[in-house]
Order: sequence, then C-alpha cells, then structure tokens
Amino acid sequence: MSATFLGYPRSDGGAGTRNHVLVLPGGWECQQIVNMVDGTVTPTSADLGVARTRSDRETIARVHVGLALNPNVYAVVIVTGGGKINEGMLNGLHAEDPCRAAGKPVEIIDCDGWDAIAQGSRAAARLVHEASAQPRQEVDASNLQVGVKCGASDPTSGLVGNPSLGRMFDRVVEAGGTAIFSETTEVIGAEHELADRCVNPQVRKQFLDLIENHEEVARGVGQDIRTINPVPANIAAGISTLEEKSLGAVHKGGTAPIAGVLEYAERPAAPGLYFMDSSVSHVVVLPGMAGAGCNIVFFQLGGGGWSRRTLTGGQGIVAPQMWVTGNPTTAARVTGIDFSSGPAISEGRSIEEMGDKLFELVLEVASGKLARTEMLRFFDPVQYYLPGPSF
Amino acid sequence: MTAASAIKLAQTDNVATMVSAAEDGQAVTVNAGGDRLRIAAAENIPFGFKIAVTDISAGEQVYKYGASIGQATADIAIGTLVHVHNLAGLRAGGDTGRTG
Repeated sequence: MSATFLGYPRSDGGAGTRNHVLVLPGGWECQQIVNMVDGTVTPTSADLGVARTRSDRETIARVHVGLALNPNVYAVVIVTGGGKINEGMLNGLHAEDPCRAAGKPVEIIDCDGWDAIAQGSRAAARLVHEASAQPRQEVDASNLQVGVKCGASDPTSGLVGNPSLGRMFDRVVEAGGTAIFSETTEVIGAEHELADRCVNPQVRKQFLDLIENHEEVARGVGQDIRTINPVPANIAAGISTLEEKSLGAVHKGGTAPIAGVLEYAERPAAPGLYFMDSSVSHVVVLPGMAGAGCNIVFFQLGGGGWSRRTLTGGQGIVAPQMWVTGNPTTAARVTGIDFSSGPAISEGRSIEEMGDKLFELVLEVASGKLARTEMLRFFDPVQYYLPGPSF
Repeated sequence: MTAASAIKLAQTDNVATMVSAAEDGQAVTVNAGGDRLRIAAAENIPFGFKIAVTDISAGEQVYKYGASIGQATADIAIGTLVHVHNLAGLRAGGDTGRTG
C-alpha cells in the first residue's frame, strides 16, 4: 500500500498539510492582523520592492504569488495600503488573479493603517472560521513537497544528518512527491557529483552554468567567498573548507535524478527532485521553498559550533518548519528539535533506518502533528533572494 | 585507555573524521568501509575534526568523501589534526584568483 497522509486537497491540484489564511504582502499592518487573528500567516520582510530592480521586484512578486498558491493556503487577504503605495512598492494585488484562477477565496482590503488592521482582521477571522470547517482527508504521499536548508553545519551534517535527510527525500520522490534543495554557494566543490545526476544535458548545463556564474559574480565584485563560507560556527566544529562543507551539504538532496534547476521561488512543473538557486541564509532559502510550493520545510542543523539553545521557526511562512539534526550532543542540548539521526553515530544505526523514521514523522506532521516550533507565535523575519543592486 | 574511533569515507581519502575525541598518543581505530586500520593520535583531536591517516606533503591535495577538499599548506604527519592551520580551500577565491 502506498503511503498517505491526512491533508487538505485543493481544487487546483496538490494538498495542504495546513489550512492557513495568508495575509499579503506583509509589513507592519499585516503583522498586526496576524497578531490579532489565530490561523493567519504573513511574510515579515522589509523588502517590498522599493529601490529594487525590475528583476528583483519580479522575484518578490513570484514569492508572494507562490505563497498564495501554496497548497497550505486556504484563502488570501490582500492589503493594498489604499493605493497610496506607488513608489515601486508591491501592494499584493499581483496575487489576486492567480488566486482567483486557483479557486481560492480572496479578500481585498483597500485602505491603510488602523483601518486596514481592523478590516483585515475582520476579513481574516471570517476566512479562518470558514477554513476550520474543511476536514482533513486521506491523500497520497505524492502530495508531499519538501524543501531543506542545512545550517550551523558541523562534521555530523555530512556524515549522518544530511544523508538521513537525503534518504527521506528519496522516499518522497519514490512516492511521486517533490523535493527541493538549494544553497548555490554550498555546491561549489561538489558540483560534478550532482551534475552527473541531472536528467539530461540541458539541465546539466543549466546547473553547471549556475555554479560557474556564482563564482564569476564573486570575482566580479572582488569577494573571496571563502572568507564568508564556511562560517565561524562551521570552522569551530571542524569543517575546514568550502569544498568540504559542500561535499557534506549535497547529501541532503538524496540520490534521485535531478529533474531541473529552479529560479528562487519557482514552482516545479512536475514531481521529482529539484535544485533551486538561492543564497544560503535560512531566512532566505525557506521562504523561497514555500514560494515554490513546499508544504513542509526542514532545517538540518549541525550545531556543534553553535551556542544557541532554543530554536524558533516560521521561515516557511505557510509551510511548517521542522528542525532535524545528526549531532547527538545538539539533539540533547537544543530545545525545538523534531528529529535526531544522531543514533547513526551514537548507536551505530543505519542511515536508511534514520531516513525511513524521518519519513514516517513527516507523514505525521503532514497530517497535523505540530512541528516543535510551530506553536510559537514568534516569527523571525524573512529575506528574499534579490541579487540585484538597490538604488 | 580504549581506542578512539574515526571514519574514513572513501578509499582515496587521506583524512578520517573523528566520531569520538582522541587524546595525544591515544590509539584510533579508523573504519574504512569494511577495512579497519589502527593509528595513533599525535595530538588531541576533538569529535568531528579530521585526522591524517597518512603523511601528507605541503601542496598535496587533501581528500575526504573521495574528493578534494583543498590543499595542504604545510607538511602533515600521520595522526595529526588537519584543519584550517594546515589546509586551505582552492575554490571560490574571488579576488585571489585561486579558483579551480
């Protein structure tokens, strides 16, 4: 029997693991609505298009539309700011037509400030109540779309953490689902291994060009990426070079063929494993994955060189964020870890066993079990991947 | 004192990763696929850090995961710590022109 979970089927295809009301575009008014009305989410980013290039504004719009179309979203409240925002700032209305085409309820709040908070909260509350009447139904695991970021990497990340996560990715892809990994800088030094897994010569070229261009950009601005990555937490835990970090990092993508290379927040056209272009910060990668349609996202934590003891989440905005680690010490020390593949080190368990257990947990979380940071009404801000200059 | 443990991930690797900390002089069992070899730690090497499983000359490539992770910047003796003090990456050097 094929794997299933209890999700929210959508009329435009796919199924949600959550049933959120999304408030767009974000910013302080939207955050107040989210504070007021349980069941709502919004991307809290300062980047709404001002002083950004056309290409970067398109990227922001793509994230917004992608979040709105994400299967975890039941309905969307768009706050326009009363049409007063006209200095290149995106007001969320670009998401209206795609949402209506997808059959999602949309409410336009065409005012600003306290009026927008009051009217937006009222509309959001009505939609959350409506959403609560939709029951979860058994759906095929092919509706899973997962995305991963690895961070505070240490040598356990490459040994067991990323390989276990990669095994779970393989299970999702085998089930007919979609999996996305990213972080272009952290492929440098390991690109040929991945290039050999690209499904055809076009994808292979696109992938290798992306990596080469990334190094070219660094040269063009006179930056030595090696002074930026590995970060001090990596080095403190024993990772010495970018190549070493990359060779460990790419295991998070599992072993499936790479079906395509995505732009940041680009929705894949078909199921399978994809590589998405992005910078490496989790506040950047995870919103991009949610914009690409992921209905669960992961932070695979090393943590060996890290002092943080308490985890927060929310970078997936509409997608629950699970924290996993392969470091037994991190698992014992840090609050908020959903899953540890550490027994692969401390108890000699196999990577396959750890990855399969994680896959089972993913089905539970997809069915409504909360990720450990999901009950917090605290959200780190997000940042979009906007490589252009600002003016 | 029982032996510490390390994992060598590929046949061609000249370093292994410590999966328990080793003290100076302590025996280290290096698991390499089905094979095991026994070396002695020449200094304290913490959990997760790399130990040289052979002598490596300055300028030689250092291999982990069966791939180059950079170049030795000093002679490295078997059993010693391999890290940023004796190993430098060769990629993404930007202004240094050392990109591979």
